[in-house]
Amino acid sequence: MDWDAARVSLWLAAATAVSLLPPAVWLARWLATTAARARPVVEAALLLPLLLPPTVIGFYFLTGLGGASPVGEWLARHAGLRLVFTFEGLLVASWIVNLPFMVQPLHRAFAAIPRSVREAAWVSGLSPWRTFWRIELPLAWPGVLAGVALTFAHTLGEFGVVLMVGGNIAGQTRTLSIAIYDRVQAFDNAAAAQMSLALVLLALLALALVFALDRRNALQER
Amino acid sequence: MLAVDVAQEVPVPLAARFECRPGELVALTGPSGSGKTTLLRCIAGLMHPRAGRIECGGARWFDAAAGVRLSAQQRRVGLVFQHYALFPHLTARMNVALASGRADPRAHAGELLARLGLAGLAERRPAELSGGQQQRVALARALARDPAVLLLDEPFSAVDQPARHDLYRELAEVHRALALPIVLVTHDLNEARRLADRLVILDRGRTLQQGTPAHVLSQPRNARVAELVGIRNHFEGVFRQTDEPGWGRLEWGPGQRLALRVRDKGRVEDGAAVTWVVAAEHLAVHAAPPEGPNVLPATLEEALPLGDMALCRFAIEGVAAPVQLHQPTAALQRGQLALGTAAYLQFDPAGVHIMPRRDTPQPPPPARGVGPVPPAAA
Repeated sequence: MDWDAARVSLWLAAATAVSLLPPAVWLARWLATTAARARPVVEAALLLPLLLPPTVIGFYFLTGLGGASPVGEWLARHAGLRLVFTFEGLLVASWIVNLPFMVQPLHRAFAAIPRSVREAAWVSGLSPWRTFWRIELPLAWPGVLAGVALTFAHTLGEFGVVLMVGGNIAGQTRTLSIAIYDRVQAFDNAAAAQMSLALVLLALLALALVFALDRRNALQER
Repeated sequence: MLAVDVAQEVPVPLAARFECRPGELVALTGPSGSGKTTLLRCIAGLMHPRAGRIECGGARWFDAAAGVRLSAQQRRVGLVFQHYALFPHLTARMNVALASGRADPRAHAGELLARLGLAGLAERRPAELSGGQQQRVALARALARDPAVLLLDEPFSAVDQPARHDLYRELAEVHRALALPIVLVTHDLNEARRLADRLVILDRGRTLQQGTPAHVLSQPRNARVAELVGIRNHFEGVFRQTDEPGWGRLEWGPGQRLALRVRDKGRVEDGAAVTWVVAAEHLAVHAAPPEGPNVLPATLEEALPLGDMALCRFAIEGVAAPVQLHQPTAALQRGQLALGTAAYLQFDPAGVHIMPRRDTPQPPPPARGVGPVPPAAA
């Protein structure tokens, strides 16, 4: 078992889920309530990472944000930030590939809130901000949990983008899925089996948690 | 006092103007798509019309010309939504407390719920309450803001008949206890007649007529209003002035051969084509020709039993439109009235209401310049 890789995997998954949540909530709520003509385009763009091969995303990431690109150069010079072969780079790539996993359940949750409930809050004197915290977010809570759990589990299992963007640097960018590939290449099947089982259990745990919380919510007949 | 005077052409045409005094219950009624709910949403601040003004209790809530557009939060409005729109994750108490501006919102919510007969149910969530109970929670929430106006959007449509009657009583109680302007949107005329001090008839966003239910229902301004308020007996004719002061003659039927003696209120010109209606309570059916004016022979053409009463269609010779009225089903069963038998219809002059002819409903006027409601007909 590569404990460094396990630490990187868990840290990446948690950081992705936590940092992607606020912008995803904003985006999902906008999608659920807007009448803007651009909505279908935005929705399609958000689903795109689901259909594209991870190598395509990785390739564009490297060419768009790599050290040789204008953005990468600007980031390196002004923010001292390198996005290729670093944990920060992995995090940014992780945001992109996880957008559909985070936004989709949130979008559905916000869209399920009747417009009249939101309006009832406004008529009751609640500001849009208070309406969001007291009414919308609690009602969308199952969507929040599902988005966080799916993102967490999906990040743990991500391989292609991680390999292309992060490389395979022990303790920094080598995640469990990379470590498994690494071990199989070295004919160390025992270690690969251990880590594979760990990933299966973690993913199962995350999904079981979603269903358990969703069930509890269903029982409350919200 | 709530004063509404709004106009727009899109997205929903509106040309509505009405007032509602404190302690008064005004029913906005009309067919579906007539703009009732749109008008209510304008008052609540959930949408802004293109033109016009909305004032309440001396405060300007909306004034298109002056650029005043208060948000829903800035207006003190209590709104009961059609399907209540309760917050499903909160208890009844919290639903109400969130809207309360008092120092102790939870206690205030408890008081309101108790007043509406929900004392023991304050800690339940909406899904654990019946339709009628949910409706009371919605009413309590609407009152929790100490609103300047109470708006009710078809509040009784989702509850069953027995619960509905309890809720009528509840609303009448609130109406009596609070000196608030109350605006009730309903498509149910019986409900409007039962609860409202004043009716506002809306059609395609336009206020066609307003007045007490008794007035609007017996003296519709035009044929469209007559149709909307469910007056079955409306006919075309020509009005003639006579030498007898205060009385005129209504000619109708084939070649205007039939004549009825009617009141002349001086508002319809001699020879004017008119639509006229007669309310059922001013029509009598006799087996033998009675004494008095306005008796026409007729034949019972059809009788449709509807419980205690049967809807009867009488044909008057040469007149295409039948006269319809309810007669006791028992009279039919006893043979006092039989299909095909001759009968005599007597039209009470006091119940014959004459209106200038208007073949098509008028489209709403342009968004700017909301004109006054046209003067009443005879």
